[in-house]
Amino acid sequence: MILVAIIIGCVLGAVIGINLPIISYTYSTYLAIAIIAALDSVFGGITGVLKGEFDFKVFISGFFCNAILSMLLTYLGTKLNVDIYLAAIVVFVGRMFLNLTIIRKYYIDKWSKKFEEMKKK
Amino acid sequence: MRKGKITITITIGMACFVLVLIIFMQFKVIYQTDIASIDTMKAEELKTELSSWKSKYEEAEEKYKEISETLKKYKEESSSGGKTKQNLQEELANLELLLGLTDVEGKGIEITLKDPENMEEIEKEIENTEHTEQRINTSELLRIVNFLKDAGAEAISINNQRIVNKTDFAQINDTTYIKINSQMVSAPFTIKAIGDPDFLKASLIGTGYVSKIKDWGQSIDFKELKNVRINKYNGKIDYKYIEN
Repeated sequence: MILVAIIIGCVLGAVIGINLPIISYTYSTYLAIAIIAALDSVFGGITGVLKGEFDFKVFISGFFCNAILSMLLTYLGTKLNVDIYLAAIVVFVGRMFLNLTIIRKYYIDKWSKKFEEMKKK
Repeated sequence: MRKGKITITITIGMACFVLVLIIFMQFKVIYQTDIASIDTMKAEELKTELSSWKSKYEEAEEKYKEISETLKKYKEESSSGGKTKQNLQEELANLELLLGLTDVEGKGIEITLKDPENMEEIEKEIENTEHTEQRINTSELLRIVNFLKDAGAEAISINNQRIVNKTDFAQINDTTYIKINSQMVSAPFTIKAIGDPDFLKASLIGTGYVSKIKDWGQSIDFKELKNVRINKYNGKIDYKYIEN
């Protein structure tokens, strides 16, 4: 069910995103960092769903707040001449890997259980 | 299906939608800017390239400034040099005018001064002490010149002898000759002066000097001329004792 939602969302986003106007190259850094933040949030959300701890409010607020905050930090970094966005990327990507690990483990457990049940039969 | 699960599904779907939307926007931006091959280079490389170009530009600008400044200097020098040359020539012309080293022309008057007609007879009757007639002498000429100068005469000559700074008037003893500029001249005298004709005439008539001259039995005649030509000073001007 969740997979279907993800696929529909991705396809819709791709179609609309291609037809949107181009933004300036200068702002692509901000967009990239927003993408990383959003990706992290999505993976976190999926993990939450799998664990059964998913909270609608936490997910939405995290999704937007992380993106906006990371963009603001990037802006601050350009003003301070420090690549703060690197720190944001490290944090987000690190969390992404953690979440991916959790998701992987979850499915491995699930499938191995199924496999054992099949063997018992 | 539970209500919570639907919410979760929709939320995740929405999140994915937004995420992919942004991702594709970014793809497009990167794809468009790829043409200039900028992003095939690392940011560091670009930075160093940019800074090197900047320094090159600054160097070139500095050089340009220097060169333009020297050019300006040269221009100023050449223009001022031209000016001084012109100034010098003007000054030279003025000085020559002042010294009377050039022929000059202009509005002015011509005075003809003659000795008394029967002067020789009068001189023969030397016993007759009552006579008022007299010959033209240097002091008379000097006074006339002075009057003319006072009236603003710019150039004066007597019998073609230009009156300049060095001009001397000398009576040669017991003769009717007068030395002007060391040249012997004698009556009748033709005095030429360049200046305002009315002023020049008035300086002699108005002061009563002309009537005095007439009392002495001499004849004086004025001619206003539109074009009086006065020759230059023919003598040499050199200084022995003046030290510059």
